[in-house]
Amino acid sequence: MTNFIDYLLGGFSNGAVIALMALALVLVWRSTRMVNFAQVGQAMFTTYVALTIQQSTGNWVLALLVAIGAGAILGVIVFFLVIRPVKNSDSTGAIIATFGVLIALQAGAGMIWGGDPRGFIPPVDNAGLEFAGRIWPISPYDILVLSATAALVIGLTLLFTKTSLGLSMRASAFNPEVARLSGVRVNRMLISGWAIAGATGAIGGVLIAPASTISPNSFDILLVFAFTAAVIGGLDSLIGAVTFGIGTGLVISLVSGYSDSGNAPIVALVLLALNLLLKPDGVFGHHGARSV
Amino acid sequence: MLETVDLCVSFGAVKALSGMNLTVPRGEVTAVIGANGAGKSTLMRALAGLVTPQSGQVLFDGRSIAGNKPEDIVRNGLALVPEGRSTIPELTVEENLRLGGLWREKSDRGASKNLVFDLFPILGERASMRADTLSGGERQQLAIGRALMSDPKCLLLDEPSLGLAPLIVTQILELVSRLAKETNLAVLLVEQNAVTALRVATTGVVLNLGEVVKSGPAHEISSDEELRHAYLGY
Repeated sequence: MTNFIDYLLGGFSNGAVIALMALALVLVWRSTRMVNFAQVGQAMFTTYVALTIQQSTGNWVLALLVAIGAGAILGVIVFFLVIRPVKNSDSTGAIIATFGVLIALQAGAGMIWGGDPRGFIPPVDNAGLEFAGRIWPISPYDILVLSATAALVIGLTLLFTKTSLGLSMRASAFNPEVARLSGVRVNRMLISGWAIAGATGAIGGVLIAPASTISPNSFDILLVFAFTAAVIGGLDSLIGAVTFGIGTGLVISLVSGYSDSGNAPIVALVLLALNLLLKPDGVFGHHGARSV
Repeated sequence: MLETVDLCVSFGAVKALSGMNLTVPRGEVTAVIGANGAGKSTLMRALAGLVTPQSGQVLFDGRSIAGNKPEDIVRNGLALVPEGRSTIPELTVEENLRLGGLWREKSDRGASKNLVFDLFPILGERASMRADTLSGGERQQLAIGRALMSDPKCLLLDEPSLGLAPLIVTQILELVSRLAKETNLAVLLVEQNAVTALRVATTGVVLNLGEVVKSGPAHEISSDEELRHAYLGY
């Protein structure tokens, strides 16, 4: 029982980061109805940028802020360079193109920063907290990760429900033609979606980096988990992405704890397959949301 | 207010509009009627900027707007209510309305919202409900309300009667016609339902296979039996 609780608690922080990546996928889906497989590549790249800043200035907050800005800019660049020209002809082509971007980003990062895994020093202690006579699998850094994720989710929710930009973005996602006829500059809204997604992914990348090491391929597995969470959540639901992102983190933690961490991706893919068989619209998705 | 000169629109080899000439004056309703496939919706989509005309001109307020983007056209004062109760079901009534005037100054938006709520009180009562909970007639009112939030000088209504009970259609169209007179709004109404459309319109235009076959005072068109038999099917 103690093991179970430990495994569960240990999964939250990882789940929060999966939730952020899933959110990034959902934000892109909502704006352009496609899955951006380069999302983790963009996050990896901006995490390297953050690492460089942290190593030269020692300032973690500055590194995070630069990564957020770089993530937004990179999102816009990917939209303009690859997605926009391809999307006009065929959306399947655009999705394949995002794989191309992913590989290019990994190769680029390898050329700039080298292929060796590098450590990312957390801004606060990452050792388990001692409380009530034992050490718990939650560190001050985990608490930072969870708080940052919660703040971001609340911020995004407020942005979408309370602001004019959010309303324009939602309208553009639901019905671009009606949005244009209402005077909304839909193209700008799509670009904003990609920028916000890029920034969200960048935060996720910086937050997860201290948990292991960073290398050009280190986030690949995160794509599997985030994609699973986003799809099970319905692909167009922010709350779905967060719920199942954290859920995926807990499942991974339990699977890794009771068997072997190598089994976690397989379990995730089995869950994804079951979801697609039993509830193809996703748990939080509304019917037809995923038909393109 | 709104004028088209030799407007032509084609989809590939198919000519949807061939040389359309039309004038829509302020303060009244102009009705374009015709059967399915006459080119009515194409005309509306071309005016609103959703399709680009092959040749010809669209003059709005004396300026040529053909080929402009829809979002710029509506900002200039030409608002389209497209066919099929074009509300966004996932948004609330209030959000649907707000969407119509997001680019405007906040104080101007408030005035338009009051006007819409005066015109369609039901929208005020249902403001916080999702648009997909509304009835068909209420949704059509919401679609018109959203267009009015842009404070248009000219309103384009594409087939507002589609799928609605005749009584509701008459009520909505009479409101629009009164609004046109009271606020000097130009209204272009496109309808398959000729009887209802000609009842509220001042001028009628009969469209067939992309060409104007007749235009004149609405009462003359509705009393022209030959025309009715040939093009309007009643």
